[in-house]
Amino acid sequence: MTNCIEIKGLAKEYKTFTLGPIDLTVPGGSILGLIGENGAGKTTLIKSMLGITKPSGGSVTLLGTDPDHAKEDIGVVMDDCFFSEYLRVRDVNSVLSHVYKGWDKGLFADYLDKFGLSGAKNIKELSRGMRMKLSLAAALAHRPRLLLLDEATAGLDPVVRDEILDEFLAFVSDEEHAILISSHITSDLEKVADYIAYLHQGKLLMCDEKDMLLESYGRLVCTKADLEQIDRGYLVSTRKSQYSAEALIRHKSDFKRLYPRLTVEPVTLDELMVFVVKGEKT
Amino acid sequence: MTGLVIKDFLILRKSLRSYLMILVIYTAIAFSGFWNASFIGGFMMVMVSVLPMNVFAYDKQAKWDTYGLALPVGRTKTVCARYLCVLLLCLGSVVMAAMAGAVLYAMGRLEEPAEFLITCALMGLLAVLLNAVILPFLYKFGPEQARIALFVLMGFIVLLGWLFLIPLGGIEWLKTLGEPTPAQIASIPFIAAIVGVVLLAVSFLLSRHFYGTKDV
Repeated sequence: MTNCIEIKGLAKEYKTFTLGPIDLTVPGGSILGLIGENGAGKTTLIKSMLGITKPSGGSVTLLGTDPDHAKEDIGVVMDDCFFSEYLRVRDVNSVLSHVYKGWDKGLFADYLDKFGLSGAKNIKELSRGMRMKLSLAAALAHRPRLLLLDEATAGLDPVVRDEILDEFLAFVSDEEHAILISSHITSDLEKVADYIAYLHQGKLLMCDEKDMLLESYGRLVCTKADLEQIDRGYLVSTRKSQYSAEALIRHKSDFKRLYPRLTVEPVTLDELMVFVVKGEKT
Repeated sequence: MTGLVIKDFLILRKSLRSYLMILVIYTAIAFSGFWNASFIGGFMMVMVSVLPMNVFAYDKQAKWDTYGLALPVGRTKTVCARYLCVLLLCLGSVVMAAMAGAVLYAMGRLEEPAEFLITCALMGLLAVLLNAVILPFLYKFGPEQARIALFVLMGFIVLLGWLFLIPLGGIEWLKTLGEPTPAQIASIPFIAAIVGVVLLAVSFLLSRHFYGTKDV
């Protein structure tokens, strides 16, 4: 299995924000979910990977080559539809068929049908969800090998989201394909992602297999007194209220063996993020 | 690159249709004899000077640059596509104006077709020159600030001209230069064309530099 994305020491410095250095690898046939609060650097990371914004340092290899040479095989959906409101849906076909060598007009038409988009419609008339579907159709119609998706499922209803997630799973069934998807809808990532990377204030806090991540971390609910007795090595962060306490713990199975009396619940990606951002570090 | 040129024309489709309609109206007015036909050339020049600014504004509104740079086109070709679009617009406007002149001539309403054609060609060339000045500003500052920067530059040029003419005696000095000879008049299009090509090349290099270093 070859790596579709290899990032080494990628950094981008702004006056008030610094991304990285980031090291990240996404193997073929897998989906990496990128999570992080607003302003964590997810979009900057994707833009830096594509050279849209120029990195201050580090290297990016996409599909075994530099990003400029790989773009023919990359489909991109950012957090907005970038086609002018003065265009019609079918105009996207006229434009992109002259941009991508591998553009498949029939496939684009199929996606429009699938997503219920009329080619004659003005983009101005489309809702946000419909615009995102158009962006997805445009990203998939040249048969890319790598998809970079920035909040691609935002604004879509659950039914369409589910269809699109199925589309993503079908896409990565080919070992040569991979997806990097940033999303605030962590339930989507829990459904499809193989790996989770957590960006916080421009730094990569965690990057691991999703199942491993969710297996090894847990949410402990206990009293403040109980919390004081626990080995600090297991605690990632804690949240205390007037009467009780919660903690994000690592090495869940060891912890359960050591403290069988305490209740440890499975943790969701949402909870993981909230604990890291809002919890007290131990 | 072709895709980006097509995109620009598709975005301008509505404006181009409106301008075509106005051209028909102006031709009809010229036919009635109310206005001189040479007005058509001037109108076309103004039109093609405004359109590129509109494309930049529409692109900015759609945040196209972010997406455009993710496409397998590259920054240099992206700038090339925009210049090609502008040149095609200028050429198209000259052709349309010439067609309007041909209609007027066929109907016996244009007495000096050669002069009309030269006027149209010169107007087209002026439009190219004007765009050559505007485009680097648009790449550097974006559509809103470019307008302001352009006004400041124009004001600066007028001020410089004024400061140059004052010691020589002002506008009256220009009159002392006398009428240009037919040979001088005939050389104007060639000189203008050479200046146009040089200015366009410099303009392209500047735009490419600005866009090449731009962080979107």
